[in-house]
Amino acid sequence: MTQDKPKPVPAAKPAAPPAASPYPGFQLSVLKPGVELKHSSPLVACRFDPTGNWLISASQDNGLQRWELSTSKKTDLAGHSSWVRALAFSTDGKTLYSGGYDGQILSWQLTLAQPEPNRQVRAHDGWVRSLGFHGNRLVSGGNDGRISIRDANDLREVLAWQAHDCHVYQVAFSPDGTKILSGDHKGRVKVWEKDGRLIREFVIPGLHKYDTGFRADIGGVRAWSFSPDGAGIACAGITNVSNAFAGVGNPLIVVADWTTGKIRIDLKPKEAFQGTMWGVAWNSAGFIVGAAGGNGGMLWFWKPDQQAELFAHKLPDNVRDMALSADSKRIAVAFQGGAVRVYPISA
Amino acid sequence: MGELRGCGSIEHTISRRAAMGVLAAGSAMAFNGNALAAPLTHQNKRVLMVFLAGGVSQLETWDPKPGAPTGGPFRAIPTSVTGTHVSELLPHTAMQMHRLALVRGINTAEDDHGKGSYIMHTGRKQEPSVAYPHLGSLVARMVAEPDNPLPGYLHVQPGGGGGSSAGDAAFLGPRFGSVNISDGKPPVNIDLPNGLTQARDDSRHSMRRKADARFLATRNTAETEAYTQTHDQARQMMAKKALFDVTNEPDRLAGGYGRHDFGRHCLLARRLLEGGAPFVKVTHTNYDTHHENFDFHIERMGEFDRTFATLLEDLHQRGLLSSTLVMVISEFGRTPNINRNYGRDHWSKAWSVALAGQGIVPGAVTGKTNAQGTAVVDRQVNGGHLFATYFKALGLDPTKKHYIDQRPIPMTDPAASPIAEILA
Amino acid sequence: MIRLANGVALCAVLTFTSLMNAAEPLSQAMDGAIERAEPKFKDLASSRCDDGTFLRRISVDLIGRVPTSSEVRTFLVATQPDKRAQWVDRLLANPDHAWYWAQVLDAWWMERLPGKNTDASAWVTYLRESLAANKGLDALVAEIVAADGVDPAQRARARFLLDRDMEPTLVVRDISRLFLGANLQCAQCHDHPRIDGYKQEHFHGLMAYFNRTYLFDDPKLKKKVLGEKADGDVTFQSVFDPKKVTRKRSPGLPNGPERQDPMLTKEQLYVSAPAKDVRGIPKHSRRALLAGDLVTAGREPMARNLANRIWAQVMGKGMIHPLDQIHGDNMASNPELLEIMTKAMLDGGFKLRPMLRAIVLSDAYQRSSMPRGKEKKAEDRLLMARLRPLNPEQVGYSILAASGYDEAEAKALGTKATPAALQAKREASARPFINTLAPPAGNPDGFEPRLEQALFMSNHAHIQQFLSPRDGNLAARMLAQKDSGKAAEELYLSVLARLPDESERGDVAASFQSADRSVAVRDLIWALLASAEFRFVS
Repeated sequence: MTQDKPKPVPAAKPAAPPAASPYPGFQLSVLKPGVELKHSSPLVACRFDPTGNWLISASQDNGLQRWELSTSKKTDLAGHSSWVRALAFSTDGKTLYSGGYDGQILSWQLTLAQPEPNRQVRAHDGWVRSLGFHGNRLVSGGNDGRISIRDANDLREVLAWQAHDCHVYQVAFSPDGTKILSGDHKGRVKVWEKDGRLIREFVIPGLHKYDTGFRADIGGVRAWSFSPDGAGIACAGITNVSNAFAGVGNPLIVVADWTTGKIRIDLKPKEAFQGTMWGVAWNSAGFIVGAAGGNGGMLWFWKPDQQAELFAHKLPDNVRDMALSADSKRIAVAFQGGAVRVYPISA
Repeated sequence: MGELRGCGSIEHTISRRAAMGVLAAGSAMAFNGNALAAPLTHQNKRVLMVFLAGGVSQLETWDPKPGAPTGGPFRAIPTSVTGTHVSELLPHTAMQMHRLALVRGINTAEDDHGKGSYIMHTGRKQEPSVAYPHLGSLVARMVAEPDNPLPGYLHVQPGGGGGSSAGDAAFLGPRFGSVNISDGKPPVNIDLPNGLTQARDDSRHSMRRKADARFLATRNTAETEAYTQTHDQARQMMAKKALFDVTNEPDRLAGGYGRHDFGRHCLLARRLLEGGAPFVKVTHTNYDTHHENFDFHIERMGEFDRTFATLLEDLHQRGLLSSTLVMVISEFGRTPNINRNYGRDHWSKAWSVALAGQGIVPGAVTGKTNAQGTAVVDRQVNGGHLFATYFKALGLDPTKKHYIDQRPIPMTDPAASPIAEILA
Repeated sequence: MIRLANGVALCAVLTFTSLMNAAEPLSQAMDGAIERAEPKFKDLASSRCDDGTFLRRISVDLIGRVPTSSEVRTFLVATQPDKRAQWVDRLLANPDHAWYWAQVLDAWWMERLPGKNTDASAWVTYLRESLAANKGLDALVAEIVAADGVDPAQRARARFLLDRDMEPTLVVRDISRLFLGANLQCAQCHDHPRIDGYKQEHFHGLMAYFNRTYLFDDPKLKKKVLGEKADGDVTFQSVFDPKKVTRKRSPGLPNGPERQDPMLTKEQLYVSAPAKDVRGIPKHSRRALLAGDLVTAGREPMARNLANRIWAQVMGKGMIHPLDQIHGDNMASNPELLEIMTKAMLDGGFKLRPMLRAIVLSDAYQRSSMPRGKEKKAEDRLLMARLRPLNPEQVGYSILAASGYDEAEAKALGTKATPAALQAKREASARPFINTLAPPAGNPDGFEPRLEQALFMSNHAHIQQFLSPRDGNLAARMLAQKDSGKAAEELYLSVLARLPDESERGDVAASFQSADRSVAVRDLIWALLASAEFRFVS
């Protein structure tokens, strides 16, 4: 039997080009496992230094850990007598400022092989909750409702005022350094001149609730991040709380324009997750990262004008904090199990 | 009470409870009203129970473990008793520690709110066949003066739920049930209706009493007495209405108690105790901190600490503390382990209460937990031991018995003895 | 306790109409048993109560309220020798009888549990219609136990089970207490520690009737109903048994035979197999079996329990006390009496009205509450009537009746004053009193006077309205009298169903001297409404 002439195979169509990533240069759809840096006690906070050399984490054993990112080497920093969740750096990355639940602010010289506290002040009556740095000034906020501005070198207080009637959860200098912002337990944001005059205040609805059954306030601005253009602020916390004492609620990010007080959009995970949005970062490329903990750990990427996320990633443990590196290429997540993971997100 | 009653039967001459008949649902006892223990001697003693509802964390109060993995962010502070430390959340109470005794080795082995609360109020685990009376009902029955115009067991609680919890008294009878003072306000309907003067009220009650005297001359019973007595009790409560007005207090003192509900409630409690109330319970809620345990304890202890310290000092200044048994209790403690929501869950295996006043050794500390706070390692006690201790402190015999249907029922758990080292 | 042999022959059932005319043989039988229990009965027993006392008793016991002053006047002057029996029959025929006793049964069987899954007032209507139709209480109980709540026309009867969330332990406990007079709660985990007759197998035998029934949230009806599976067995161990032997129990009444499931193939098990959205209907329903068993094998304990409870309701205390402790070691105060009434219940088809008639026409019921001598436990021995408190409904409706609210409302409604319309008004106006006096939900009625009840009676606005004059009510009638003596009569007849004595007339006269008569009238009425004589049945 003669063989038929082989039928011509239709030419293979060229593969469709991949959908244009909304953020070229970033790999967001898949979260690479990243580097795991393990500490022996549950973590409560993490921050990158501005140079990208170090990652600082803080833990329930009252310690800080300085991780050398190129080598994963850890140096323990001892000095606080309680937990630290407030971390800030000098612009050149040489000085670390830590604020603790012991009410103290400590400064550290990060360039030393074994940093010891340089300076130490009792900054607040109760917990220090947040620190911000600009120029030669350090700003702090704490449970006493006060904002305190200090000289960054000697930590001497230059100005302080009673800013809120409840715990201050966040303080920051505006990106251009001309204003100070504070956010509190009841979801209020206040904008101040550097001399302490109030410019405006507004409430972030959804980030606070008064639970009438339990007669308790629950929520607050647990984390925030400025937009690349500086006028926007993404505020993170917990919403939909149906039981304040069991922690039944969902993580939420609210994007607002702090220069006007207008709320732009709520960013909500598509799939319900029970817990608090502990960390939020607004990448210089324009996307927003959020990390939540409670019933496990989750990481999401959002376009800042779209309520549902672009991508969602399950994390291996309960999240306590999240930070974005200054070059926007890495994300660090601090876990209750004691590890902090550094995830590369550049393409 | 010795007057001849109509039929002369045993029940009527012994106890009011005798003829009331119906017991709480679930009780299997056939109650035919035999004698209860006769009232025990007393000399103007009283009890203040501060109930922290939800389960206060012993690690954030009486038994801190700073530096332990379970310790949490709060540090320990010294107190007015050398060697005794408490959580930094109690700076004012720490200065009153020389008046307080701490029991740190409690293991009630019951992590359920209702059941744990039952143990702490009755000194017994819940049993299906017998309902035990609350300490407050026992004090109302055995410590209070029989002609005391105030109800024997008053409960000042945050809003919601008025009326009385007659069931608290179990077989002692509803007369000794707790009378709830909802949100520290006077009992409902304590004011005369509009247009009715005191003179008219006196007159109409006088008519009522005359009618009763005529009717009951030949046939009164324990039940009719219980009924007529509620009217007399109501009148006496109305006469004591002023006790409930805390605005009568000097402003500075009211400020010291705190301008929040718990502060006002404790101030009312002091007034009631001073006014002759034998047993006052004050409830402070929202200690069930499975979520954000530390933030909530800052807030709760922020209210409790200064108020309680002020209250102790105030009782002392008025010469009342030495004859008032004070207790700060909860239904259980909280887990040393910190959960995924910065919370602590229920923990009845190793927790603490604080006591002061009548019969208590001030500054004494008994019981120890291990370094993590997960277990008692020295002088473990349970709800029965505490109950027997209260009895002893009040000068009552914990081995005495109730007699129900001729069946003896020990007033306290016979397997548990008083904690001698904290008893004066 | 005298035990009747099984299979006793039933006597002829006496019809209601024939009872109306005959001398009451059951009353005589009861009195005979009471006399026989006391050797010196005739010397010790108190005399018969007077007419006013009798009228007050039967009014509160049969229709739930005290008599009006005109009813008392009418009754006092009537001369027929059988006027008491005639008035009893008049009350039993009054629509208010079924209306009131529906509320009694409701309090017995629901203990004021809220209408969580059903309409509580529809249930009371169901009870009222059943009583008005003279339905036997055994048939009523069977309907309640077999109900599934599906048919809207019959949903009300399912309240007993549905508003207990069909929680099996609670249902078994309450069925054993309320229908069989035996609180088996303590026998769940072990044989009852003190009562020989209450065994673990009794509890679990009852449980086995219910273990396959479940609460089903019907997506189509959007209501909770009852479904039932065709499988599932009850097993139990005793907590006192160190060996932890597991026993299985098929459905069965205490001391009754165990009922085996019929042998069915898998395909034959269901009329409708249970699924996520489908209510299960088995071919053989264990729950329906209970309904049948209660009225057959369970007839005698049901009859004994009902006889005891009806007696307790109108006499103030059961022959067996407490009401849910019927067992061999708990002697009835008069065993022969209890058995006579049990038999009468059985023979009479479990009808309520004939039983009530017989009791209230007995000498025992009509005995005075004044003691004759100094005999101990005279009330228990039925030598004298027991001084007993009104129940919450009786207090509420009696305050309305005594203050003349009923009459004022009837006047105001005019031609619209139907029994149903008046009942609705009275229910609404009595509700605050009933709520204040009722025990917490889930508890049987019992007399528990509390401080806040006295404060309510004294000071709450609700009672004030009944003390103000309104056309037709007591205050208005009193104020209309120029003669204080006539006003005193009106007052005492309305509130206490008797005439005032000299001293009382004098007090009213003195009150009437005061500046403001309407105030005097208010306070007089209030004082008597708050008095022990009003609060109790004497």
